[in-house]
Amino acid sequence: MKKKEVVIVSLLIIFAFVLKYLIPKPVEFSYTVSMIVIILLGLVFVYILIRTLQGQLIGRRVVFLLVGISLSLPFFMKLTLNIPVSPEVRSVYDALQKLPPGSKVLAAFDYDPPSAPELQPMAVAFMKYAFDRGLKVIIMGLWPQGPQQADQAIQSAFKAEPSLKKKIKYGRDYVNLGFQAGNEFVILRMGESFKAMFPSDLYNTPYDSIPLLNNVSNFSNIDFCMDFSAGKPGTAEWVQIAVDRFKLPVAAGNTAVQAPMVYPYLNSHQLVGLLGGMSGGAAFEKLTKKPGKATTYILSQSFAHVVVVIFIIIGNVAYFSRKKEKK
Amino acid sequence: MGFWGQFGVWLAALLTIGIISFLYKDNFLYKACEAIFVGISAGYWFIVYYWDNLYKKFYLQVTNHDLTSWERIIPWVGFILGVMMLSRLFEKIGWLSRWPLAFIVGATAGLYMMIYFVSNAMAQVASTIIPVFIGDWATIIANFFIVAGTFCGLVYFFFSKEHKGAFGLASRVGIWFLMITFGASFGYTVMSRMSLMIGRLDFLFGTWLGMIK
Amino acid sequence: MNLKLIVIFLLMLCLGSFALAETNTVNKDSTAVDSIAPPAPVTMFKAFDTPNDHGHSITLNWQLSADDGAGQNSVLQYQIYRWVPYLMDSLTTLRKAMTTVKEEEIKRGHEKVLKKEMRSLKKEYNAVLKELPSAHKAYPNNGYWKEVGKVPAGTKSYKNTGSKEKESQDYLPDLTDFYYRVDAVTKDSTVRASSKVFGPVQCSGQWFNTGRIPVLVAVILFTFLTIYFVEKAKNGAKLYVRPLSGIEAVDDAIGRATEMGRPILYILGLGSVADIATIASFTILSRVAKQVAEYQTELLVPTYDPLVMAVAQEVVKSAYLDAGRPDDYKEDTVHFVTQSQFAYVAAVNGIMLRELPATNIYMGVFFAESLILAETGALAGSIQIAGTDQIAQIPFFIVACDYTLIGEELYAASAYLGREPLLLGSLKAQDYAKALVIILAIIGLIMSNFGWTQFTDLFKVAN
Repeated sequence: MKKKEVVIVSLLIIFAFVLKYLIPKPVEFSYTVSMIVIILLGLVFVYILIRTLQGQLIGRRVVFLLVGISLSLPFFMKLTLNIPVSPEVRSVYDALQKLPPGSKVLAAFDYDPPSAPELQPMAVAFMKYAFDRGLKVIIMGLWPQGPQQADQAIQSAFKAEPSLKKKIKYGRDYVNLGFQAGNEFVILRMGESFKAMFPSDLYNTPYDSIPLLNNVSNFSNIDFCMDFSAGKPGTAEWVQIAVDRFKLPVAAGNTAVQAPMVYPYLNSHQLVGLLGGMSGGAAFEKLTKKPGKATTYILSQSFAHVVVVIFIIIGNVAYFSRKKEKK
Repeated sequence: MGFWGQFGVWLAALLTIGIISFLYKDNFLYKACEAIFVGISAGYWFIVYYWDNLYKKFYLQVTNHDLTSWERIIPWVGFILGVMMLSRLFEKIGWLSRWPLAFIVGATAGLYMMIYFVSNAMAQVASTIIPVFIGDWATIIANFFIVAGTFCGLVYFFFSKEHKGAFGLASRVGIWFLMITFGASFGYTVMSRMSLMIGRLDFLFGTWLGMIK
Repeated sequence: MNLKLIVIFLLMLCLGSFALAETNTVNKDSTAVDSIAPPAPVTMFKAFDTPNDHGHSITLNWQLSADDGAGQNSVLQYQIYRWVPYLMDSLTTLRKAMTTVKEEEIKRGHEKVLKKEMRSLKKEYNAVLKELPSAHKAYPNNGYWKEVGKVPAGTKSYKNTGSKEKESQDYLPDLTDFYYRVDAVTKDSTVRASSKVFGPVQCSGQWFNTGRIPVLVAVILFTFLTIYFVEKAKNGAKLYVRPLSGIEAVDDAIGRATEMGRPILYILGLGSVADIATIASFTILSRVAKQVAEYQTELLVPTYDPLVMAVAQEVVKSAYLDAGRPDDYKEDTVHFVTQSQFAYVAAVNGIMLRELPATNIYMGVFFAESLILAETGALAGSIQIAGTDQIAQIPFFIVACDYTLIGEELYAASAYLGREPLLLGSLKAQDYAKALVIILAIIGLIMSNFGWTQFTDLFKVAN
């Protein structure tokens, strides 16, 4: 470790201390300040564009910096964004809306902390909505950390809506069956028997002594399935086995990377609906009228998207102007 | 949050910044964070595999006297196949590892043949055979693109004929469809990566520094 | 005297109860008149074993009650009843006892007493299970009607699916006589009409799922095509595969590297030896290595997986042999780097920036490292050719590389270069399957535009 690096790290820690303990919180920009910030950012891009046209290209670090800034600043802005609702998100909501209270919903948590920023907001919104509507939720995971994510989602839902905490009881209104290794084979076996795959729940309570599971033996006793997935095993496996073999209606919440691969199943109506990435989560929060993290995040997301689009334009300008010069 | 909670948050924050610092340039902090990450994840997965597979699926099964003796023998078959997998480490008996591999390949191929034919082949073909000229204009256009995209895409991946004339045109249209699909998936990927960054920033500004609500 | 008194008392009691009964019926009738008259029962009620399943399920069909959606329109739902012998209840009691013992075991640990208790309970349970078929045969004695499900008005069928697990709550035994009836129920659940009882009906599993015949036909057809073309290729028939621009570019790229006197970097990706993309990549590597040996250019193959490294070494060695230059082969041409994704990337990036290879070839399975690798290569000014079947990574390669083999093109490329009958034959079979799909889809499209959906139904696989 060089001397310079030690200095930088120590400066960083001191700076963090100042931010954490000496600055009044929370930091929030007023509408006017937000607008000024946006205009300043816009001017920076105009400057970059002019320089590019003049043939001076910016370095990659500038790109990183500007994307970072555009992601960070919206956290402090008090702007609200109109979130459009796509048909695939609406059909998830409609399907859930049609379920009568008391319906049993299987929630598969097939993701882990690295994908949590995208999927956790949807999961929280789903939990809030399901509990509010009186749906019975059976949680399971094909990924080892899935059930823990579910637990966190439920805790966040309770924190956001304390009235739910009084109303909802473990074992009666929801149950967490935990993780089971075996990927798609778990789904296959669940088609015949839940108990064979999950002899007990996450807290080692035997399957038979959980009231919610009294009349649940396989998919035929489940009214709907919601899969939160970040990869394999995930939505594709649920469609291929639970939907095509056992005719279980399945909707999915996916990371944006995975969403395009799931669209064919949507088109063929094998999948009821899809919440794709952060925007899908935000739209679902809007429909359920329970704004959460996704609604907060979507502003940063939109800012960053605009910045990426601007950089794509600048990149193309640079490419074509160079091509011209070469000719 | 107690002292250890705060300590954990500070550690997580510094590790996050350490990894992000790679964007400026490769440095000591980044290398240290990466090594910690690699080491911890290897250890973590080892533990997960041990408890979820070896303990839960094997040990608990063979010692569970509620099960019939037949049900207690079956996990042993899996265990033996698993051990055979390790024979790769020894050159002389390395061939033994082919048996469990053959079992896995055979079983998954059998399962997937059915699954893929039903979900990915038949159902997708059925969903392409749609009445194109029925419905309102938006539906007609959407259906037309689905049908044309599928056909031209298939033509592009047809290797037995030179792509010339009408066939070549269809294949060129096919590659356009593919490129648009890739563009969309590229966009989605950017969105995903941004979301991950947002998640980290929320942690830094919210949980760590407490600057936002 | 006493006797008389008793008789009078009894008479009065009888009369009184009659009177009470009368008032009851009057009451009931009056409410019925006020609100709802009993609906018509369902007709043509039938129960049969659910086809194409593993058993433990009975399907029920009926025609709607005359008062469902028509007539008085008073039917709200249908309730489905199955006759169950009292013996079923003793099963439930035993099951509960077993659960209690299990809970005790969790609390107190595996004690001998509990184990013994459990064993005897299980024995008893199994004995009762054996009695089930004969108890069902005793219909209508020693049993009662139990509601097994309900469906909203307008529904004409119900599937009574039970569990095949004997210890499960809703265990539905195979080969047992069941009796069913359906009640049309109005808003007032006491006002209802029962159907005729249907039975006996038994369920059983089927060996063959006729709903999947389309899949069987497709599999047979595809297998036939594959075997046919593989045989044809083995017999030396010349099977045409169109040239792929990415592969043609490989030759030029090797020539360029020779001219510039700089090495060629070949990356096999992060896949294992079992991945098809990696296997395809080996064939391409073999071709590249052969040419490299002929031109006497330098080849670098850093690998991620030790097994992939071992295979790659063999491949390169035999390519040098084929080219007639076994002495030029160096043991460290193919070398192992690390099995940590980003550490591997860092190492390869280092090679790119230090050695400045003229050409980088990426073939195989790639994940998040695809863009990092390809971008560094582009910065270093190398010509880049990529190929992968990981759809999510293709866009990144297209952006940063000069040529990209998209998905199946990678397999086609290996068949094209390798000319192995097995690869060529299956590639041909796939092509013909695709052609068949296109033709069938076109026929289906034309027919569906005229409203004939029977053709599309051929592709729909039941269950």
